[in-house]
Amino acid sequence: MIPGAIVFEFPKDFFGGLWVTVQISALGLAGALIIGTGIALLRVSPLRPLRWIGAAYVEFFRNTPLVVQLFFLFLGLPLIGFRFASDTFDNIFRAACVGMALYHGAYVAEIVRGGLLGVDKGQIEAARSLGLSYVQMLRFVQLPQTFRSIVPPLGNIAIALVKNTSLASTIGVADLLFGAEVVESRTFRAEEGFGAATVLYLFLTGPLGFAVNALERRMLIAR
Amino acid sequence: MRGIARKLSIVLAVVFVAAACGGATTTSTPAATASALATTPTFDPMSYMSKLQTNGKIRVGTQEDNTPFSVKIPTTSKWEGFDVDVARELAKAIFGSAADPDAFIEYVPVVSATRIPSLTDGKADVIIKTFTITEERKQQIDFSDVYFITGQRILVKKDNTTIKEAADLAGKTVCAQKGSTSEQNMTKATDGKAKPLLLDSYPACLLALQQGQVDAVSTDETILFGLVKQDPNTKIVGKPFSDEPYGIGMKKDSGGDRKGFVAFMNTWVGQLISSGTWAKLYEKHITPVSNDKKQTPKG
Repeated sequence: MIPGAIVFEFPKDFFGGLWVTVQISALGLAGALIIGTGIALLRVSPLRPLRWIGAAYVEFFRNTPLVVQLFFLFLGLPLIGFRFASDTFDNIFRAACVGMALYHGAYVAEIVRGGLLGVDKGQIEAARSLGLSYVQMLRFVQLPQTFRSIVPPLGNIAIALVKNTSLASTIGVADLLFGAEVVESRTFRAEEGFGAATVLYLFLTGPLGFAVNALERRMLIAR
Repeated sequence: MRGIARKLSIVLAVVFVAAACGGATTTSTPAATASALATTPTFDPMSYMSKLQTNGKIRVGTQEDNTPFSVKIPTTSKWEGFDVDVARELAKAIFGSAADPDAFIEYVPVVSATRIPSLTDGKADVIIKTFTITEERKQQIDFSDVYFITGQRILVKKDNTTIKEAADLAGKTVCAQKGSTSEQNMTKATDGKAKPLLLDSYPACLLALQQGQVDAVSTDETILFGLVKQDPNTKIVGKPFSDEPYGIGMKKDSGGDRKGFVAFMNTWVGQLISSGTWAKLYEKHITPVSNDKKQTPKG
């Protein structure tokens, strides 16, 4: 028995699952960055009600389990007549992507908020007194500096997100963990199957870690 | 400093409560053993049954939400169901019938996918959980003789008129439990044309059916009986399209560590059926949902 050979015996379960995991990770991360930035801007907005909305979002999605959120998106939303797609398998895939984006968006929001608050107040006041509008000030002064400072913590969120996609298997999404579970139940080769899945997850998260480190170094030089 | 002292006292309180809880379950056993001593059966001292007697308990792997076979009542934490009563009869046969059999049983919650690992990893002594005997599984573990027979059928919403037989599942989305034989049977019966949605439990499958996420749920008839009882807006259709003989799972003997266990179990299963106890358990747990009566697993 060659270690890892099980992957090539069941390519559809392992590589097909890996591809699904990659898709959910990429779409979920893109969504989380957009949601997170939006929520962070609400949280530092000059208007108090907007700040409350942002805070409520973060507290809700950060303080409830991701599995519960996924089950709500999968089996709770149809109760109020909403589903992401009429086909069940499209529906659970999209529910998983949306779940990843909503949940990790809360964490991204906190990081972006920290970055926004880290920009020197004097710069913001200077920009405003030079006649830039609030939006222009964000665009040209506050946001560019923010994104530079938050690359390392965002990298951690991205890695966490890739690993958390495995929870999508609980709502029936055929991701990498799901593939390993199915193979295990057919062959009873638990150590091989889950060992292979672990290595495949490392193939995803390992390079991601390197990429974030490299990006961080480049940003430091650019500054 | 005061903050640290307070945190420490909380930690100590938690540890103390945990220890007290742990103590409560273990202290009840010796007392029960003493009272049952008079009627305790005797076994070959090298046998596994004798080892279980020394340990004072048998670890039974079963599922927490598998009506009418096994269910842990959330309000009382008591276990109920056909498989649970079978486990209690087994405990009586090993430890004597004088005391409450639950005093000798440690319930180990399992799901379909964790049944075999919990035996091979030594977390449970027996698995009594709607466990279908298959050739593949026999390579990993030992089974007792058949103690229950059922077949796979289909659960649909009451207003569904398109699904009547297994062949009608082609092109339909059907829910089954991940790691069960039900998915493989369904794939066989439809030439792989059914689209399986695999979740971790049948209550979750029922929810998916209620929400219109799947067209049908397919598994052993007896499990479907339990689901129909939960939701009267569903119905069971079609003839059984598989033969599911249930056995009690045990770890394979290696170097005499399970000496005599399978032979003992088979004799005991035979007695359970011939003594009429089996029929009583069937009537108690299965008849209310199936509306039939059986004297033996074969009918």
